[in-house]
Amino acid sequence: MDEQSGVQVPAANGTGQGGQAQETPPPPERAGASKGKVLMGAVLALALVVGLYFVNRFWITPAVKIQAKPSKEHPSAPDFSLADISGKKLNLSDYRGKVLMLDFWATWCGPCRIEIPGFIELQNHYASQGFAVVGVSMDDSVEPVVEFYRQFHMNYPVALGDARLEELYGGIIGLPTTFLIGRDGRIYAKHEGATDISVFEDEIKQLLALPPDKEAVNFQQEGFLRTRGGQIELGDPAEIDSEVPGVNLSNLTAEQKEAFKKLLAGQQCPCGCKFSLLKCRQVDRQCGISRKLAREQLDKLVAKGT
Amino acid sequence: MSMPRTMLSLVLTSWAVSLAMAQGSAPVVEAKWVMAADAAHPNSTVKAAVVAKVASGYHINDHKPTLDYLIPTELKLDPLKQVDVKDVIYPKGVLKKFAFSDGPLSVYKGTVVVGSVLQVGRSIAPGAYALKGKFSYQACNDHACLPPASVPLTLTLKVVPRNVPLKPVNSDVFERAQVE
Repeated sequence: MDEQSGVQVPAANGTGQGGQAQETPPPPERAGASKGKVLMGAVLALALVVGLYFVNRFWITPAVKIQAKPSKEHPSAPDFSLADISGKKLNLSDYRGKVLMLDFWATWCGPCRIEIPGFIELQNHYASQGFAVVGVSMDDSVEPVVEFYRQFHMNYPVALGDARLEELYGGIIGLPTTFLIGRDGRIYAKHEGATDISVFEDEIKQLLALPPDKEAVNFQQEGFLRTRGGQIELGDPAEIDSEVPGVNLSNLTAEQKEAFKKLLAGQQCPCGCKFSLLKCRQVDRQCGISRKLAREQLDKLVAKGT
Repeated sequence: MSMPRTMLSLVLTSWAVSLAMAQGSAPVVEAKWVMAADAAHPNSTVKAAVVAKVASGYHINDHKPTLDYLIPTELKLDPLKQVDVKDVIYPKGVLKKFAFSDGPLSVYKGTVVVGSVLQVGRSIAPGAYALKGKFSYQACNDHACLPPASVPLTLTLKVVPRNVPLKPVNSDVFERAQVE
């Protein structure tokens, strides 16, 4: 060790640290300097360990543990089929095997707009590795979306969303809401609100490292995850596509369904809509009052066994 | 790198929780319609105002938004045969810079008072008249936006003969509304 610099250098006799010079006890006047070297070495070793930890944590894509079994933590992304703003069919199933970013947004939403240039960059950078972005605009009409698409030179497909799609994806409370779907078709992350592009990039890298048939069990989402019990909540297609939206009628016979609908049609909804419970369910899918009452009526019907 | 990311996570957590709370319980905007007097006379004008309370942490856009893509706040009133809407007076927004905007945006925060002037018809009969309206807005916080929404409003306008004196009410509201 060069005492001046503290940097390890070969010894003058060519033996280096492991040579004869090490076996000779240091003279008494050099003992303090030797202790200093040990301390310096310990500090450097510690710094190296800490440095390696941070390099591994933030700069190297983490090794991802995988499992073949499905888990509730990463539910399968609900399939859908929409026409994009150019009229082309857009099926979620076409993206199976890719890492997909599904972005719910709107042209009137400032926090959505600032994310778009970053998504264009991600699409440019990672598309060749099996990554894709799909935008779902919640605008009422296609015109402002087409204008925005041209103005921002968007390079990924955008479709107009609808209430059913929102419900399938667990209800889109605010915009933007962005889902990251793995090659295996599972949702690994849900980000509500404008999110730093580096957060998405880290997650995309993790997901790109996965094989298409395995689930990443230790995938870590950053930021807030709107969950119940640590799970991404999705809507139930049996409730969403029901004749009485929000109520699962799949276990009823045709006669029971008719009886149930007749029952709801004969009751006034107390939400203020001035409709029957049935009509309220059909015209206002978001009404929590009619949904709760309709479900209660179904439970009563099932309990009676009629 | 770790500190900003942790901070970002915390910030996102806090706004998202507030978003969830706002959605789960109280609405982001509550609005009611009030009058400047306890009744109105035939062939007169009467001041009314919508008092909207925007939940803390949120804003709604100015009636004349800074950017053309923003959805303006609007009060729409359905006139009756004998009660016409003469004017709607929007307040001036406050300029505020957001994380998502390059420059400050004119928005409404806290309590917003939108004034209106109603013209009561000459031949209207004394009695109670229900006026319907709608307060439309689109709310955001610093990181996310909620879909456009509206609050349905009903104002019961009491019309009394000219010899019945009127009492001023809600004077604090109308001082703010600057309804002339």
